[in-house]
Amino acid sequence: MNVSNAVPPNAKESQSEKTVLKPLEIVSKGWSWLFLLLLVIFFSITGQGFLNIFNFQTIGADMALVLIMALGETFVIISGGIDLSVGFVMGLASVAAALVMSSMGGSAPLFVVVLAGLGAGLGVGLIPGLVNGLIIARLRVPSFIVTLGMYGIARGAGFILSGGQPVSIQTNGIGQIGNGYLLYLLPDGRFSFFHLPSNLEGVRPSQIVQLLPFPLIFLVVVLLFCAWLLSQTRFGRYTYAVGGSEEASRRAGIPVARHTILIYMLSALLAALAGVLYTLRFSNGAADVGDPLLLTSIAAVIIGGASLFGGEGTILGTVIGALIISIIQNGLIFLGINPFWQFIAVGTVIILAVLVDQAKKRLV
Amino acid sequence: MEDTELGKKILSRREFLAGTAAVLAGGSLLAACGSSTSTSTGGSSSPSYTFVLIQGVKGDPFYVTMQKGAQAMADKLGVKLLVDGPAQFSATLQAPIVDAYIAKKVDVMIIAACDKQAMIAPLQRANDAGIKVISVDTFIGNGDYINGPVTFPLSYIGSDNEQGGKIAGQALITAIGNKGGIYIENVTPGISTTDQRQQGCEEAIQATNGAVTLVGSNYDNDSAATASQQVSSLLASSKGSQVNGIFGTNLFSAEGAAQAVKNANKQGQIKIANFDAPQEAINDLNNGVVDLVIAQKPADMGSTAVQYGVYALTGKTSSIQKRVATGYVVIDKTNVNDPASQAAIYKSS
Repeated sequence: MNVSNAVPPNAKESQSEKTVLKPLEIVSKGWSWLFLLLLVIFFSITGQGFLNIFNFQTIGADMALVLIMALGETFVIISGGIDLSVGFVMGLASVAAALVMSSMGGSAPLFVVVLAGLGAGLGVGLIPGLVNGLIIARLRVPSFIVTLGMYGIARGAGFILSGGQPVSIQTNGIGQIGNGYLLYLLPDGRFSFFHLPSNLEGVRPSQIVQLLPFPLIFLVVVLLFCAWLLSQTRFGRYTYAVGGSEEASRRAGIPVARHTILIYMLSALLAALAGVLYTLRFSNGAADVGDPLLLTSIAAVIIGGASLFGGEGTILGTVIGALIISIIQNGLIFLGINPFWQFIAVGTVIILAVLVDQAKKRLV
Repeated sequence: MEDTELGKKILSRREFLAGTAAVLAGGSLLAACGSSTSTSTGGSSSPSYTFVLIQGVKGDPFYVTMQKGAQAMADKLGVKLLVDGPAQFSATLQAPIVDAYIAKKVDVMIIAACDKQAMIAPLQRANDAGIKVISVDTFIGNGDYINGPVTFPLSYIGSDNEQGGKIAGQALITAIGNKGGIYIENVTPGISTTDQRQQGCEEAIQATNGAVTLVGSNYDNDSAATASQQVSSLLASSKGSQVNGIFGTNLFSAEGAAQAVKNANKQGQIKIANFDAPQEAINDLNNGVVDLVIAQKPADMGSTAVQYGVYALTGKTSSIQKRVATGYVVIDKTNVNDPASQAAIYKSS
């Protein structure tokens, strides 16, 4: 299939009309921002209690899992591939992390237990990423097929490792890491960082103000790293180049195969990170916890303006895509609308995103 | 790709109008049938309390029936009932819904938790925010809210699934003539209810002291197609001749198993017990596809949970039991038309 039709026939005309089209161009470039803003305004007016800092930080904490997975998918999609295995890689990593943390729990300091769990989750998660990358880059099998195979393999491995049952962690403190906040404020003016103040006599839990949930902070750190990696480094430039044209990249001396392997490892690493975060937040690990997030994460990348043909996409775009989905899901609850409408709303946004993207290309 | 023509003219005006009209018509049609989320208020006994029923999965007849029971009680007591649930039976999807209702500041949260461990933290947050939490159908922790690891929920109102599995197992054993082999088609590992049904059925098999044996079991991920595939393979294998009865731990498991039995032309020779009683299961029973239907009482779960929520808000905590087992009705061809059986059938809308 040849999709390179670089110069549209009416390019000259649009050149002369450029001044007229300027406002349209702004709309097409910033449409996702605009759409997000309109959503927030709409739900704020119609959904009582939606416009609330605590609701927003909850949305942020709850979207951490899907967005971290979507960040890895962004790199893969920009490079012209797709990674369908991330959902079950996430589950596999959560199982590995939960097994290590529950077996070590109590016998070592908490931070050692958590680090060991993190290491186990990421280590196990990297294996499917490496295998994906090697087969795609060296044996030249399409990424869709390889990662579809890995989707099943990671799923099976997760179930075998966990014995089919969710692996739960009884160690005190694990849940506090995934569900804690940076800052706690009491009504009497006292405050503390990382955990609840010690003396809580006479204070009802609902009176405590909790700010900056850990998963949100964790998400922001990962986000900044990915944004830096994609926009400021040679790794990022290679990713765009490989997605733009593999042949041209090869001729320009870019180690395409090696870079492709690294991209799939990064994708698996981020999915595994989401798995470990799940384990910390829900105090257990199970093989199928990431499966419901796979298509949502791909949708976030597409709404964010990445092209499935490669070469296009940004981290910021993916963040907005994930935000749009999460705000729709959260906002519809405040409106009391049947959750089945979520699917229609998100599906419509995906198609709209691609339509706007195509219109944009005709204009520029 | 020849998109020079397409590129010039995206849509003709007529196409655009037709498309817009179609989308608008479709949308309003959907809106007309889809406006089901109940928000009815009525009565005047309680000052505008808001309850939410968070189902394990949206649209399942079992939960729809529970919703009906809850709504009837909510109307009677004059509280506002919201109903929600994830599209798949998954804690990953259910937790954000719980968080949204915490932000929405409901008074009582009635929930069928999707995972006994993973949902503890989100529900703890709800409890910390001053929301009364009541478990229906499934539990969190180990289900013992008096001495177990989790005690903050007001009550666990649901069937005793181990007992239900046992009842199903015993009925199936009787149906196959107290000898032979039984195969269990289960849903997904880690769901407390279905795991306990399997356990109960295995206990019933063990109690026969070897007269009846367990041929095997498998998980179908709540897909009738997968269940059918698994049972077809089993019947084709060397173990196939040992199977006299199949216990499906939920509707899709039993329906898939029944389809496979039909395909293998063993209908009637292999007895099938179906846990749960949506209308399809009753149709299957009438058509001779399945032989036994074990019905839970989801409407009772919903109404009791709403009643308990009002008790808790009005200080009548002494009327609340930490565990309510709602019981079963075993339906077969001989009693399917009895009023008690008919009342136990789950409603899909």
